[in-house]
Amino acid sequence: MNAKIKIRNLQKKFGSKTVLDNLSLEIFENESLAIIGESGSGKSVLTKCINGLTEYNEGKIIYENSYDVKNLKTEEKRLHISKFGVLFQNSALFDSLNVEKNIFFSCSEKKDFSILRDVGLDKSILSKMPAEISVGVQKRVGLARAIMSKPKILIFDEPTTGLDPVIADQINKLIRGLVIKKKLTTITITHDMKSVYEYADKVAFIKNGKIEWYGQVKQLKNCKNIYMKNFISGKI
Amino acid sequence: MQNFFTNLLYLPKNIGRLTYFFFDSIGFKFIFFLKCIKSCFTPDYYPDLVLKQIIKIGYNSLPVVGMTAIFTGMVLALQSYTGFSRFSAESAIPNVVVLSITRELSPVLAGLMVAGRAGAAIAAEIGTMKVTEQIDALKTLSTNPLNYLVAPRIIAGLISLPFLVFVGDIVGVFGGYLICVYVLNFNPEVFLVNIFNFVEFIDVFSGLVKASVFGLIITFMGCYHGFHASGGAQGVGLATTYSVVSSSIMILLFNYILTSIFFQI
Repeated sequence: MNAKIKIRNLQKKFGSKTVLDNLSLEIFENESLAIIGESGSGKSVLTKCINGLTEYNEGKIIYENSYDVKNLKTEEKRLHISKFGVLFQNSALFDSLNVEKNIFFSCSEKKDFSILRDVGLDKSILSKMPAEISVGVQKRVGLARAIMSKPKILIFDEPTTGLDPVIADQINKLIRGLVIKKKLTTITITHDMKSVYEYADKVAFIKNGKIEWYGQVKQLKNCKNIYMKNFISGKI
Repeated sequence: MQNFFTNLLYLPKNIGRLTYFFFDSIGFKFIFFLKCIKSCFTPDYYPDLVLKQIIKIGYNSLPVVGMTAIFTGMVLALQSYTGFSRFSAESAIPNVVVLSITRELSPVLAGLMVAGRAGAAIAAEIGTMKVTEQIDALKTLSTNPLNYLVAPRIIAGLISLPFLVFVGDIVGVFGGYLICVYVLNFNPEVFLVNIFNFVEFIDVFSGLVKASVFGLIITFMGCYHGFHASGGAQGVGLATTYSVVSSSIMILLFNYILTSIFFQI
């Protein structure tokens, strides 16, 4: 099985602080990878390096065995970034646009309103502004917007953070449904182990900018790594 | 004593570091400026956003610029009278009012008012978009943030400010007219004839050129500080403050430079 993304010896520094240190990882087609770890361990920075939003210092990120993200020129970089759909941590909906304009922002052709059904939204909210809808609905709108751009890979940045357990559960189930229905390759950054068990195939645990543990979700039960075990049980 | 000498040795190092940061910051701003200008001439274009920004920056600033201009014109007429009446030169008041308003006060005051109003709003809006990852979201949706956010504001600033200053010129002179005619008992016809005979094209034109430059400064500074905001609400607040302060200083600096240039024409 060919890796969709190969990361080799990735290093990212902010000033003198090393955030990602010699990190290697592979992400496969139609696979749901969950990246977990403490706050500040470098999870978000890693995904921003992968989709080209952040430059990295050393190492390689090879996309579909064809190019290294670091070597891309401006226009190629723009095309690379557009291969990724992102559900941002706080949804990052455009404040000045209503829900409809947010969802169909990247859509130049006819609007396909069936997306609303896919993410469990009603047409009545289309005219509302982001500030007028709840955080849970904002996540659904953000998800619809990310899917509308027809990405090759979807990134979920802490999709359940800030949600109550009921809504978080709904979002987890919604993402699982979409991942299965659309056969998406996904990367999820999360602290929420429920999300991991709900829809992830593999897990990468990052500690101090390095991969501390990597394996299948079903291997988590028998995981021997002490940090990983503590993280799962919430002792970190 | 030893400490003193040790600190003294660090002095050249600190001066060097500050000098480096100063030029680094200027270089960084200059590169961003070139990128912004390039974004105005390269697709994608967003004419609807330009129009929206013209309304925000220009049309919505009309009341504040109008109020500033009318009171400035009125004060100018009163103060000129105080001075000129001492050597019986009251007839020169309309000339002083129109010259000061068109060449100097209207562009500078409109620039400063718009920097405080629209420049701060630009920095706050873009800064909030930056810290809430909306700018990253734009990139993932195949949209160049410079084309979408910066270019419309810069074009709107370049168009709106001359328009505002032109309105400011008329309202400011009208303020002077009100005081001269209704307080100082000038003949209205004489006042108007004096103005139309005295004012030259270059007086109004120089003010409008200044206004365009100030529009560019205000929108660029707002966009620059917004784009480089970080650290949540506090970062957005700082970006807004830096935007207003740097715009104001740049307006005063460029006002002198442009005045010197027009002085030689």
